[in-house]
Amino acid sequence: MTAVAESDSSAGSPGTGVGTGSSGTGRSSTERPKQPRPSALAYLGLLGLAAAAFAFFWWSRESTDVLFLPLGGVTLWAPQNPLIGLLIMLGLLIVCWRVRIGEMAAFGALTFVIVTYWAGENIDFTLASIWERWDNLAGQLAAFFNPNWSYVFGVWDEWLVTLNMAIVATIIGCSIGLVLAMFASPVSSPNKATSQTIKALNSVIRSIPDVGWALLFVAMIGGTAYGLGPLAGVLALLMFNIGIVAKLLGETIDAASPGPIEAADSTGANLTQRNRIAVLPQVLPGFTSYSLYVFELNIRASTAIGIVGVGGIGHELNLQMNRFAWENVASILYMLIIVVLLVDLFSLWIRRRLM
Amino acid sequence: MITFENVDVVFPNGFQGLKGIDLTINQGEFVGIVGLSGAGKSTLIRAVNGLVPYTSGSLSVGETVVDPKSKTKLRRLRSKVGMIFQSFNLVNRISVLNNVLTGRSAYTPTWRSMLGWYRAADKELAFQCLERVGIVEKAYERASSLSGGQQQRVAIARVLAQDPEVMLADEPVAALDPPTAHRVMRDLRRIQRELGMTCIVNMHHLDLARSYADRIIGMRAGEVVFDGPVAEATDAVIEEVYQRSMTAEDVVADDVPVSVEETADATEHDPDNDDAHHDDDPAVLGSDDPGSNDPGSNNAEQARL
Repeated sequence: MTAVAESDSSAGSPGTGVGTGSSGTGRSSTERPKQPRPSALAYLGLLGLAAAAFAFFWWSRESTDVLFLPLGGVTLWAPQNPLIGLLIMLGLLIVCWRVRIGEMAAFGALTFVIVTYWAGENIDFTLASIWERWDNLAGQLAAFFNPNWSYVFGVWDEWLVTLNMAIVATIIGCSIGLVLAMFASPVSSPNKATSQTIKALNSVIRSIPDVGWALLFVAMIGGTAYGLGPLAGVLALLMFNIGIVAKLLGETIDAASPGPIEAADSTGANLTQRNRIAVLPQVLPGFTSYSLYVFELNIRASTAIGIVGVGGIGHELNLQMNRFAWENVASILYMLIIVVLLVDLFSLWIRRRLM
Repeated sequence: MITFENVDVVFPNGFQGLKGIDLTINQGEFVGIVGLSGAGKSTLIRAVNGLVPYTSGSLSVGETVVDPKSKTKLRRLRSKVGMIFQSFNLVNRISVLNNVLTGRSAYTPTWRSMLGWYRAADKELAFQCLERVGIVEKAYERASSLSGGQQQRVAIARVLAQDPEVMLADEPVAALDPPTAHRVMRDLRRIQRELGMTCIVNMHHLDLARSYADRIIGMRAGEVVFDGPVAEATDAVIEEVYQRSMTAEDVVADDVPVSVEETADATEHDPDNDDAHHDDDPAVLGSDDPGSNDPGSNNAEQARL
């Protein structure tokens, strides 16, 4: 209130309103609350942390690249990568200080830079190798822009195998996943012990990736070499699907509304009836959605696990890669994109109709 | 007949929900339970069908002793004790008829429930129950497409499908607007008379309890502090149960137009924080018995309004 009165009296003329502030020197404009400044001491500490990180990077460096800094008479030198890291850290702290970011947030950002540097340095991550090996790459890249379309239609039966593997694995895997999810969620399971046991079993199933399951089943029952590729593939995808569906659906059941479940209990329904009547209808949209998602995953995953010796288009892809027939590989990859997009559109369409 | 003998309920967290309840509720009685929230009304009702297990004493419905430890016995008991809820608790995504058929679960083999393949006789019964609550034409609509009053009727039909001896109702009309609340209560009362069921209803609103119940039980802090016919449940008695004077919130606002002004009045005076003002303003008291109340608690009530 007082600020308005002041600006009015200083402007001298009534009715200038908002314009007063900008027409004056700018000092006379309304006083705004100042953003609190972060603690300078904490920023000094962060600076120390950056210096310590720089020292550590210098000490632990493996690359021998060195930058020379001519400074008048003397020339300083510093190892290239740690120096770049230091500059990034200092720049970050300066920006954070200027926009008055709190010390905890600045610490987080600094830590992010340090950890990223450390991880990248450990594995010698650099995009420079792409340039160094460009001659090798150029030919293959050219092939990728020139796919062999006549080839891709010649292997349509392999595509069919992939699709069928995905369908069978999805249907069986999701059904088993549904049952496991019912036992895993404390809402629908008979007792806590069952729920915990099934959850633990589930974690084990999920901790093995799809390629891991494929290798396991190929080793146990034999892969394409024995004509059993699709079987191993379906089994691998199945385990993969059970893990995903049981996890996602279990959590959906956890969140099911307790009212209808209590109502079903109050009618004297047994556990199976209660789960069928009150839990299943609530989670059915989620279940359908997860199943379609899993189907998409299966198409993609079956290509990847084909490389380790289960049937389908992945197997064909592997063969063509071993023959360095990059035009054929390219056509398979393009086709894969199209198929996955189609499946995606299809599942979107179904989901829309179901909701 | 429902008999409570010295029934205690202690929750796993140590909170005592019910303390030494002794009650006998006769066959065919319509009992309204009143009390502030947290008084143990819901716990009392849920103890009857074992949704909340009682921890000591003895509780029986008819000849059957409620045994929270045996799931089988509980299921057999629950098949004869229906329950309706404040939030209706229908399964929203299935049809009204299927919701009603849920009430037949205890009499239906599991495989039939699994397939949703109910007996023709059960379906006929479900239709009769829907007829009784007057929404048979909605049978194949999704439960979620119905209005609140209609959903509560479906819930009542679901209980009727159980062919129950006892009906429990936990705040059955608290989520409904006043005219609908009265209509649902009237239906409930009519059906209860027609079938001769025992009915125990928790009610937030005192006037509903007075208009529809035969007998009123007042609860406070897990104990029964009043038990008597409606005629005895005067305002003074209920204020004793509530341990405070009554306000407009304690009655359904249906035929109490004064309540709107009251609320406006309270909000108007609130910022002034002028406590003394309320004392000489009898209009702000929802109760028609202004003599018996203590001004201090009044002001607290008004501030809350």
